[in-house]
Amino acid sequence: MAEPMVFREKERFLESLRELVRDGVPRERIRVITPFGVPEVEEILPGKRSKVRFFALLGAASGTVTGFAFTILTSLSWPLIVGGKPIVSLPPFLIIAFALTILFGALSTFLGFLLLSRLPSPRGIRSEVEYGNAFVILVEDGERR
Amino acid sequence: MGNAERYAKADRDILAAMEKPGRAYLAGLAFTATLTVIGGILWIYQIRNGLGVAGYTHPVNWAIYITNFVFWVGIAHSGTLISAVLYLFRARYRTSFNRAAEAMTVFALMVAGLFPLIHLGRSWVFYYLLPYPNQRQLWVNFRSPLIWDVFAVGTYFTVSLVFFYVGMIPDFAIARRCKEGIRKRFYQVLSLGWKGTEREWRHYGMLYLFLAAFATPLVASVHSVVSWDFAMSVVPGWHTTIFAPYFVAGAIFSGTAMVITLVIPLRKAMNLHEYITDDHFESIAKIMLFTSLIVSYAYIVEFGLAWYGGNVFETGAFRYRALGDFRYLTWAMIFCNSLVPLSLFVKRLRRNTTCLLVVSLLVNVGMWLERFVIIVASLAHDYDPYVWGTYSPTYVEVGISLGSFGMFFTLYLLFVKNLPVLSITEIKEHL
Repeated sequence: MAEPMVFREKERFLESLRELVRDGVPRERIRVITPFGVPEVEEILPGKRSKVRFFALLGAASGTVTGFAFTILTSLSWPLIVGGKPIVSLPPFLIIAFALTILFGALSTFLGFLLLSRLPSPRGIRSEVEYGNAFVILVEDGERR
Repeated sequence: MGNAERYAKADRDILAAMEKPGRAYLAGLAFTATLTVIGGILWIYQIRNGLGVAGYTHPVNWAIYITNFVFWVGIAHSGTLISAVLYLFRARYRTSFNRAAEAMTVFALMVAGLFPLIHLGRSWVFYYLLPYPNQRQLWVNFRSPLIWDVFAVGTYFTVSLVFFYVGMIPDFAIARRCKEGIRKRFYQVLSLGWKGTEREWRHYGMLYLFLAAFATPLVASVHSVVSWDFAMSVVPGWHTTIFAPYFVAGAIFSGTAMVITLVIPLRKAMNLHEYITDDHFESIAKIMLFTSLIVSYAYIVEFGLAWYGGNVFETGAFRYRALGDFRYLTWAMIFCNSLVPLSLFVKRLRRNTTCLLVVSLLVNVGMWLERFVIIVASLAHDYDPYVWGTYSPTYVEVGISLGSFGMFFTLYLLFVKNLPVLSITEIKEHL
């Protein structure tokens, strides 16, 4: 890996990043480290949209299904008429399903983030290399063309 | 000053709050911790001797503990409003309050969660509320609002905790760089090895957006479910369809007041005037004023329905609320929640933190009284005059309630010294 290019100012960093891309360095060889999320990086180095959204959808959908299945099937297994209501009372079960949709959705999104970002990273936890508030560009293997 | 210096200054200023505590802080912590311990001892006393030591008498079998439960769940709400809803609306002043508000949400829910257990009397059988395979051939009743509460509040706590933690991951990475020794290790582990690569930021942005989107409906749903604990019954004063929106507005109102109560002293003590400005306070005061108007409207509708609906029990319940044993509390509630916040129509007062602090403290008192009046006055004056009664709390109930405030503020004080009180990365983004 080449020496990291370290910048104190965001504008200089973005300029150099644009220059690298103009010079034809493949996107997948460029790594960037920033002290906060910089939306312009996304524009300069367009990547695939985060797959975290699929985790959100899957989690939320499984929460809805679990909520209804859990309430309906267990109520049928322990049938007890309360207040003259049907054993399978969908309106109240909807509240449980709604809560589980949010719960499963949020937890699954968090899990998806950890998986896709490869966190927790034991190497990162132990690492002493810190760039602080600097904006860093790393070009992996190979020469600049 | 260049941007690089500004970023470094933001790190220094905000992390300075986590330096060695002063005497005033330690004295405050000792006071709140003492209240917590007293509350804990009184709870143990109640467990040993039974609920008889509380002032519950027929017909008032829900009283101050349930008041506290509703109050604390309500306090939690504006945390989610500020962190999730304002994020989706891209309100920039949110950055000044979101961390404090998220912490408040988590701690308020921790305190709120204790009250159904305290109220049970036999707290050790709390697990009867949970649906789990058991040998007693018993199963929970999913048609009961009390079970909805378990799911709603449980979900709310879990999602709020995840949101709170996720927001802090990049800040932990800053703290691990700036701290030494055991604290460095602590923040290293909590930061999960965050580096700030573009891949991390990309997934993080999406995660934060989705968590905000998931948390937003909770603002409306959780307190609606809490309100149905009352509205699903047939007690006059409780059995009304306006309860869900009325409670949600009240929750945001009281929560906003609590955020102001917490952040004004925080700003002064930690010298964060540069990051939490009077403009920010003015914006949040507008939310408080707006929700106060909704709550006042709900009061008018409630009394209007009782008057115009022609139901003698409903009319009786509301006449009792306004003129009966709890009339002073009812009028104090209207004074604190409907009249005092009107002062915030004046711009100068919205920007005056002393005035704002006084208003927010009165709103906190008023919102606690509102829940007390709704719960106790409605039960005390039910359908049958033969069973009418009244209620006054015992020292055990008062002590446990004060203990809950002690626990909340203890947790908050510990948060202030151990976690970043503002979102450093978001502040840098806007510099």
